[in-house]
Amino acid sequence: MVALVISLALFFDFTNGFHDTANAMATPIATGAIKPKTAVALAAVLNLVGAFLSTEVAKTVSGGIIKEGADGVQITPDIIFAGLMGAILWNMITWLKGLPSSSSHALFGGLIGAAIAGIGIHSVNFESILQKVILPAVFAPVIAGGVAYLCTRLAYALTSRHDPETGDKLTQKRGGFRTGQVFTSSLVALAHGTNDAQKTMGIITLVLISAGTQPAGSGPQWWVITACALAIAVGTYAGGWRIIRTMGAGLTEVKPAQGFAAETSTASAILASSHLGFALSTTQVASGSVIGSGMGRRGTTVRWGMAGRIALGWLFTLPAAGIVGALTALLVQTGVAGVVIAAVAGTAAVAYMFVHSRKSHVGHNNAVQIEEVGQAVQFRKKKSAAKAIKNGSAKR
Amino acid sequence: MKWLELLSVAGATLLSAVTVVVLYAFGVRLTAIAGDIRNSPASWTRPLAYTCFAVCGFAILFGLYLIIPYFHN
Repeated sequence: MVALVISLALFFDFTNGFHDTANAMATPIATGAIKPKTAVALAAVLNLVGAFLSTEVAKTVSGGIIKEGADGVQITPDIIFAGLMGAILWNMITWLKGLPSSSSHALFGGLIGAAIAGIGIHSVNFESILQKVILPAVFAPVIAGGVAYLCTRLAYALTSRHDPETGDKLTQKRGGFRTGQVFTSSLVALAHGTNDAQKTMGIITLVLISAGTQPAGSGPQWWVITACALAIAVGTYAGGWRIIRTMGAGLTEVKPAQGFAAETSTASAILASSHLGFALSTTQVASGSVIGSGMGRRGTTVRWGMAGRIALGWLFTLPAAGIVGALTALLVQTGVAGVVIAAVAGTAAVAYMFVHSRKSHVGHNNAVQIEEVGQAVQFRKKKSAAKAIKNGSAKR
Repeated sequence: MKWLELLSVAGATLLSAVTVVVLYAFGVRLTAIAGDIRNSPASWTRPLAYTCFAVCGFAILFGLYLIIPYFHN
């Protein structure tokens, strides 16, 4: 059972990685700041590095959502197994639909379902759910969206250039924002690695402790750290191209200045939330930023139908992952046969969704159509342009 | 409920994002002015543009400081 839980946890880590590539890399890919394949490779490396940077794992599996610990209930590997199953299946479904949704909320949902079915409703701390899942889901997009809206407005206002005499539009030269995008998106990717790989390390370590192979209170072992780091990096490199398409082109059309504003808002919100004690989901922050920046730029529209579908997905995250978690927990309780059935059914479902995804392939080559503005309109550097003008007048 | 924390997260996000974006936008704008060929731009535009980018660079470094636990434990 322990081995099964560990492999499932690593697979969850993998889906976590490829689900969240879009948060950092969708907008730079959409504006052409980084080439698609380079972007996912960069994100993968940063996730790998991030995973090694922060190995101070959580003391509890659910972060207080389930009343665990000395005076609470004991979360068994069975419950974790069921919770992971719910989270993974929900991650796969949302990926297939191209919806960005929070992996940690899916994990919470799976664990809640599994705990209710396996232990009882008294094991769940509902106030904690409100505070850690429901309120953040409302406020993350609002905060990030509002800030991104303002930033986009400012970025465009400050860089809009008009001829002082005629009032004609000059060349705006906003391409410089692309360079900035590389840095802001890298920051988001690194932050993701330090947060999310750590969650899986925590789960595996707690399972190992409960199985008695590791003393209580000790940190993760080196092979756990390495495995988690690799799993999230490989997942990130695999790239959830469907979600990148949604975030980079499905919600709104993204231009460099707007993308820079969106990413700066995302990075600020994530760093602020992780240091000021109110956890926000990266995915929800990033989606909010993209929508906000889309509202802020003139001449673009936000596709509210798509935004609505994403919101609907968030609404279903807890119950859907919870139901799968609960069903798995009930199956697992019946004994070894139940575990085998659950494992086989889960694998079959994942395999089915993977095969289904092949019917309409979305990869690095067709995830986002980029207008190559930078190549179509080449501006000459100041010196060579000045020389050209001089030569021209000399000839005349 | 941690309303105070929520408020401070919102405030910090707003403050830091607006600062970085405004500085970077100034940098981009000044670079554009410095690159103008016709009415020759003042000589201070390009250094000032680079100063703006440098301050943004410090913001990135501060971000790294916050991300990497080694620095603040």
